Order: sequence, then structure tokens, then C-alpha cells
Amino acid sequence: MAIEFPNLYKGNYMLLVAFPIALALVALLFIPNVKLGVEFRGGVLVAMQTSAPVDEEGLRAALSAEGFPVSSVKTMQNPAGYKVEVEIERDKQLTKAESLKSEFFGMSDELSRLESDAMSNGGADAVQRYADGRRKADEISNGLFAIAGMGKNASEYADTNDLKHAVALAQRKITDDHSEKLSAVLSKNVEYESASFNEVSASLSEKFMEKAGVVVIYSAIAVGIVVFLMFRTFVPSLAVLLGAACDVLFALGAMGLFGIPLTLASFAALLILIGFSLDTNVLLTMRVIKRRDGTARERAYEAMKTGTTMSMALLLSFLCLFALASLTHISTYYEISSVALAGLVGDLFATWFLNAPIVLHYAEKKGDAVDDKPFLSTIFSS
Amino acid sequence: MITKEEVVRGATSRDVLAMAAFAALACLAIALDRAHGIAIFVGAVFILGIAAARFKSKRAKVAGFLLILVISLFSIGFNGVKFGIDFSGGVRIPVLLEEPVRDSATMEEMVSTIKTRAAAFGLTEAKVRPIGDSEIYVELPQSSPQLVKDVETVLSQQGVYQGIVDGKVAIRGDDIYSGTIGRVPQQYLQGADWAVSFTVTQGGAKRFADTAKGKADYPLYMYLDRPSNAVVVVSERELSKHSKVAGVTVAKSKARELAQTALRLEGYDIGFYVEEEIAGNFTLAPKDNATIAIVANGSALVPKLSEAGFVVAEKSEDEMSPRYSVSPSNPKSDAVSVWKAVGLLSAPRLVLSVTEGIPSFNYVINGPAEGETASAKATDAIRKEREVVSILKGGALPVRISLGSKTLVPAPLGAEFLRLSVIGVAFALVAISLMVALRYAQLKIVMPVMFISVSEVIILVAIIGSFTIDLSAMAGILAAVGGSVDGQIVMTDELLKKEDEEARKKLEKAFGIIMASVIVSVIAMVPLLFSGIVEVIGFAISTILGSLLGLFISRPAYGAIIERIFE
Repeated sequence: MAIEFPNLYKGNYMLLVAFPIALALVALLFIPNVKLGVEFRGGVLVAMQTSAPVDEEGLRAALSAEGFPVSSVKTMQNPAGYKVEVEIERDKQLTKAESLKSEFFGMSDELSRLESDAMSNGGADAVQRYADGRRKADEISNGLFAIAGMGKNASEYADTNDLKHAVALAQRKITDDHSEKLSAVLSKNVEYESASFNEVSASLSEKFMEKAGVVVIYSAIAVGIVVFLMFRTFVPSLAVLLGAACDVLFALGAMGLFGIPLTLASFAALLILIGFSLDTNVLLTMRVIKRRDGTARERAYEAMKTGTTMSMALLLSFLCLFALASLTHISTYYEISSVALAGLVGDLFATWFLNAPIVLHYAEKKGDAVDDKPFLSTIFSS
Repeated sequence: MITKEEVVRGATSRDVLAMAAFAALACLAIALDRAHGIAIFVGAVFILGIAAARFKSKRAKVAGFLLILVISLFSIGFNGVKFGIDFSGGVRIPVLLEEPVRDSATMEEMVSTIKTRAAAFGLTEAKVRPIGDSEIYVELPQSSPQLVKDVETVLSQQGVYQGIVDGKVAIRGDDIYSGTIGRVPQQYLQGADWAVSFTVTQGGAKRFADTAKGKADYPLYMYLDRPSNAVVVVSERELSKHSKVAGVTVAKSKARELAQTALRLEGYDIGFYVEEEIAGNFTLAPKDNATIAIVANGSALVPKLSEAGFVVAEKSEDEMSPRYSVSPSNPKSDAVSVWKAVGLLSAPRLVLSVTEGIPSFNYVINGPAEGETASAKATDAIRKEREVVSILKGGALPVRISLGSKTLVPAPLGAEFLRLSVIGVAFALVAISLMVALRYAQLKIVMPVMFISVSEVIILVAIIGSFTIDLSAMAGILAAVGGSVDGQIVMTDELLKKEDEEARKKLEKAFGIIMASVIVSVIAMVPLLFSGIVEVIGFAISTILGSLLGLFISRPAYGAIIERIFE
């Protein structure tokens, strides 16, 4: 770049560490504010397309009055007019109905086998076992019928096949009633051209949570192993992993500060930050530890010049995505770009103010007694 | 600088010529075999990529990259680029499987059952595709609320099973205890290749005994979601498509008779018409305004039928063509065995013992399997067994499902999103080039960086677009632009260093950095790729693909170009 920065590492570079540590502390302060998106929390996200702006407070009040716990109402301008997003928390009755339904269908096959035994050849024992199973199924079904407000009793259904139909019907009625009531309230209060309902059931959000947890664990373990295998020395490996962890930490802090929800998209963006943080870190570590031109401090400074240019390229592409998100209000774009931007900015601090001092300190303590064997004998070399 | 002679010499070298010939063949194959265009394209990119990485010469690396770019452009032209409903408009309903399905046969069965059931409701445009091992996407290019409701009904409700003997319902799905339907173990097969047993209720046992009495050797027509108010219009071609059965040809009159028999059900006969016979003098009228006319896709009669007031359900030629089973020694058992257009899925023959009028609770359906080898036969037996189990369970899927969050996108909005996204990618390319220009202030660096980045976007779009580009994939493509330039900056800076080292050595070091970063990026994203979180799999795919493409193909090509430029 045309402007030359002075070499940051000339003086007591260890003081630089104060910046990322302060930043990390601030980030930690904001992390509890990170909101879970509808995918992870369950609930309904209604996106409506309107031609005129909407009275947000009025809509919120109307929904609350009808018993819909609103967690947010947002209006955004987009190419087709306005987009109104309403997030409604998961209805407790719905969650209960869902778990009752899965409980029922979990046992229905077994119950039908028991019934068949009892009816055909079973004897007293089989009849008793069927009666027990049936009693439990009736209990579950009655719970569902009560929520559905159908005024039925499970004992009305002699045969388990009929009971099964009734249970499926009840569950359907519960979800239909809920969404019909919701759309009735919405259409009374908003003149929308189109509306989409993004419903995330409790079981689905649990599944997302569980899968995301598994992904984080696998990613962390795999990245940790690979980094140690590549560097084969403890301090630089740790520094690299620390840098990656800092990026994710900063990004999470920014999410809390700017109200970016943790959704599947922002989750994916957090994962890619790990990869982004690595390339500047590897560049730094390699230049400082494995090379011997000039002093370690000069090499770190040279690495910084290259590294910031690299980060600029990434920052620019995510800035474009962010601009695109501001135009279209596509939440996937918005969440990915803002998380990546926050993480990349944080990466500048983590790499050049935290990792660089650690690696420099390590290199200077070891002196020039560094092996010059090429880092990662590449598959490209001839 | 690179001279003209050098380019000519490079282009006519043996390795480059071989790669070019391969690429030309691949392009030809894409153009000729349109059905397999995507597979050919992806395979060709893979092979060229390996070739470019294996050949050590600079010319081969550059040529490999250029050739991949060429076939990518070719593929975009011939195979096209597919967009998700976010860009094309429509509705998407994820179907979540309650347990992961690891074997592909079960997954295929799930997908085809959902397709069949969706088609039974007239939703022939439904796109059903498995995502990972625990999710299936159902996508429709339209987005009316009624349509969404229909799909949800199709997916959440079970089908209605009817077993019909001689025009009477002998057994209904509700007569069967669903928990008792199961395969019969090998040792009890008694000569058949497969068998399925089930138990029926008391009422069911009586109905079956009464209906089947004296009907030994009659076929039991097993219907799933049989339309009760419908006519079917077949062409002669469809009627006789499968008329050759085991060396015997079913005569036209016989085929007609069998078809009509299969469609009979007291009070609910499905009307049978042959297209060629009614086309000339069209007088067909529906019973009421809900009467369905089942007819081949794109038949000339479609407008006439809908004008006459029918609800037209168009089916594929395969679904419209009945399959027959005939046996010269026992003509009583001759039947239409499969006719998907009307929901007839199987027609086993009644054995003597169940036709004596005595109620029985336990039944077995068995049959032979086809196949050349023992293992092929075993696979066929399992398939048939599963099919019958699935029919008896009312088309119930082998794994229990729940519906995920549905997404609706109006078509004009999708088109606008696409337009803006393309502008966004273009803008990112321009912005980054400007930055590179500012940083290096040398046209000979800016030009190759630009060229490689643009080409990478094109290749990525061609590959991912062969499947589907959705919102998250588009975000990943944009991220890949930044990642691509990021890698090229490392290489350029290494080369520009004033060290007394060969350019090759310097580039090797740069590759070390790039490789470490690519390995870690890929490793960090791979768990997401296999997590089955479909909403963001597009992002994982495009970032991983972008990284790998960069590492193996475009970075070496850039290295070869820039090394030569700085020599």
C-alpha cells in the first residue's frame, strides 16, 4: 500500500497484547446478549411483503392481546416495497401437543401388535398386556384431544387404528388452529401482499441445536489436531489456535452488541472464520519462525504488510455481501456477512497484536537455532 | 514477457494437447448426451484437475486451468445453471427423517414414495431430493397457500389402501393392524422368494372371507389412493407398451379387457377410454365438477378434457402404461399387475385356502423374485417385499418423518434477488481489483489476479449451478472471491521479496501457507457439510469447493503465470 506504517514491533511489542485482551473482555461482556435465532429457539418467523410501512407497535399489541408472545417486529425496505418480519415465540401448548404426538406414535406399532395378539390367539395374558398399553395410549390421546378442544375421549375408539387416525387429526387441528388464528390476526392488522410462515417446532430446534453442537465439537477437535500436526511445536500451535478462538469470540461479542442473532447462517459464518484466521496466522508463524532474513521483528512487520492486504481482500468481498444484504434484506446474507466482517476485523487484532507478540517472543527466546527444513513439504514441489 | 512462440510451443506440447483433446471430447459428450451432461461435466473437471495437479510443467498447469474454464463455460451454456427457490421463486418444505437413513435403497424408497404420493395429488412438478441422510427437500416452483397445504397433507397423512377382488373391496387399510405387517423370515418362505405377513381385525377377516369366497386364482388388486371419481384416457401405445410378458403377447382386446376389469369397483368404477377412439368424436362429460381425468402428460386431449369440466391429472407415459401378468395355463389369474396412474401397485393371486369363506386373521402375500444372479435375485426380493409392506401400510414411509420449516418466495422477488446478487459478485471483483491495483500498482499483476478470480467464479458457478445455487451457496461464492485473491496476494508478496532465492522456492513457501490455510478451512467446514443442516450446506459446499479449486488448480496456474512474468 502507498502508506507505510511504522514497524509496530520495534519497541516493547508485548504491550500490544493489551488491545486484544481488552477487546476480548468487552466481547465477553456482550456475549450473553447474543440472541438465538428462530431455528435454534423454535417459534414462528412470519415474513410479510407489504407496499406500505406497518405500525409496528400496533401489530405487537394486537398479537400480544391474542395471546401470541411476540419476540420482535422489524420493518425493512426492499426492492418490492416493505418486508415486515414478526418473530413469535414457540407456543407452549403446541410444544406439548408435539411431544404427546411423538410419544403416541412411538408406541402405536407395538400397541397394534398387542391388540392383534389379544384379539386372535393371545389368552388372558395378552389381553392384559393390551389393556395396559391401551390405557397409556388413551391417556396420551386424551391429553391431545383436550388441547385440540375436540371434546372427545379416547375410549370412544374401539380399535387402535381408529385411535391413530383421531390422534393424527387432533394434532393437525392443533397446528392448523394455531396458524389460522395467527394469520387471522395478521391479516386484520397488516395489508400484506404475500406472507411466508417459517415455523420451527420444538423438536426441530432441538435437532438443530444438537447438530450444531456436534459440528462445533468435531470442527474444534479436527482443527486442533491438524494444527498441531502441521506445526509440531507447542507454542506456535497454541498461538494459532488462540488466534482462531479470539476471532470467534470477537464475532460473538459483535453479535451481542449489534443484535445479530445466532442462526444457522451466522453459525456457518463462525466456522469459516476459523479458516480465515488461520491463513494470516500461518503466514506470520512461518515467516517469523522458519525464515532468517533480517531480524524476527522485521520479518513480523513484513508479514503484517502481506497479511493485512490479504484480510483486506476478504473484508472487501464480505463488505459487498453486506451491502447486498442491506439492499435485499436477505437475512442469510446479512448474518453471514456481518459475522464474517466482525470476525475479520477482530482477526487483525488477534493476529497482529496477540499472536505476533507471542510468536516473536518465542522466536527471540530461541534465537536463531531454528531448523530450516521447509514447512510442510508441499505436494507441488518437484 | 511471454512471447507468442512460447505460447504456441506450450500449446502444441504433448501433455497440453492430450488435455485439450480430453476437454474437447468432454464438451462433445456434454453436447450429445444431454441426459448425463452434468455427470460428464463434473467428471471431466475432476479428471482435468488431477491432470493439472499431477503434471509438473507450468504449461500444463495453465492449460489445465484454462481448459476447465472452457468446459465450465460450455456446461453453463448446455447444462444451464440451476437456482434454488430463493432465486427462482416457489416453496420449499424440508421433510425431516426421525432416524438417519444410511442405506441408499431406503432413501430412494423414501424419495420415490413421496414423489408418488405427491403425484397422486396432482403435484407432478414437486422436486423431491434427499439432503444428507436425515432430510428430504420437497420443492415446488409455485407458492400458493393451497398448494402448500396439499403438500403437507400428502406428506403428513397416510394413503388409503384398498384390496379389491372382482370389483368389491375385500380389505381396507383400516382392517390391518399396521404393527403386524412384516417380512416373513427365510425359513418359512415355502418356496417363494419373498413373503409379507399381516394380521387383520375381526371385521376385516369377515369382509375378506365373504368377498373372496369362491374366487380362487382371482387377482387381489392392491390400490393405494385409488381415485373414486375418475376416468382414465390411455393411448393405444400406452396400453400395449408392456404387452409382451414372458414370451407371450397380450392381444389388444385382451389388454383392454384386463384394464377394464382392474378398474372395476362397485359404484366407483374408473371410466376407461382409449384416446384414439374418443379423439375424433369427443363427447366425454364428467360426472360432477370433481371428476378427475387421468391422461398422459401433454396429450392432445388435455385442453378438451379441461374444457369439458374435468379436473385433469397429467401422468408420465410410464405411469400411464399398465403392466400385465398372464399365465397361459391359468387365464383366470390374468391381470393388470401395476398401473401407477390409477394407484394400482400390485396384484397378487388369491390361493385356494383363503377363498373358502372361513374368516382368518393372518395372511401372507408372497411371490417370486427376478434376477440373473443369486444376489440380484435377493435384492429384487427385498425390493418387492418392501414395496408390498409399504402398500399395506398405506404408503407409509419406511422411516417416520416430520415437516421442517417451510420457505416461500414469490417469483419476481427471487428474480430481483438474483439480479442484485450477480451485481454484488461483480462489484466485489471490481473492488478487490482496485485494491490489488493500489497495492501493487503494476498492470502485469492486476491482470492475472483479475483473470484468475473471474475464472474461478465462473467455474464455481458452473459446478454448483449443476446442482443448485441457493442463498447460502451464493454467499459462499462471494466469500470464495475474497479467498481466491487472498491466496494470490500471499504468492505475489513472496515473489516480490528481495531474497536471493529462486522464484520456484519462494512459490513453494507461499504454497505452504496456502495449503495450511486451505486444509484448516476445509477441515473446519467438513463437519457442517455432513451435519445434514441443509439450510447452510450450500455455504459449506461452495467454500470447500472454492478452497480446493484454488489449492489444486487456480493457485498453481497463477503461480506458473506470475513466475514467468517475473523471470
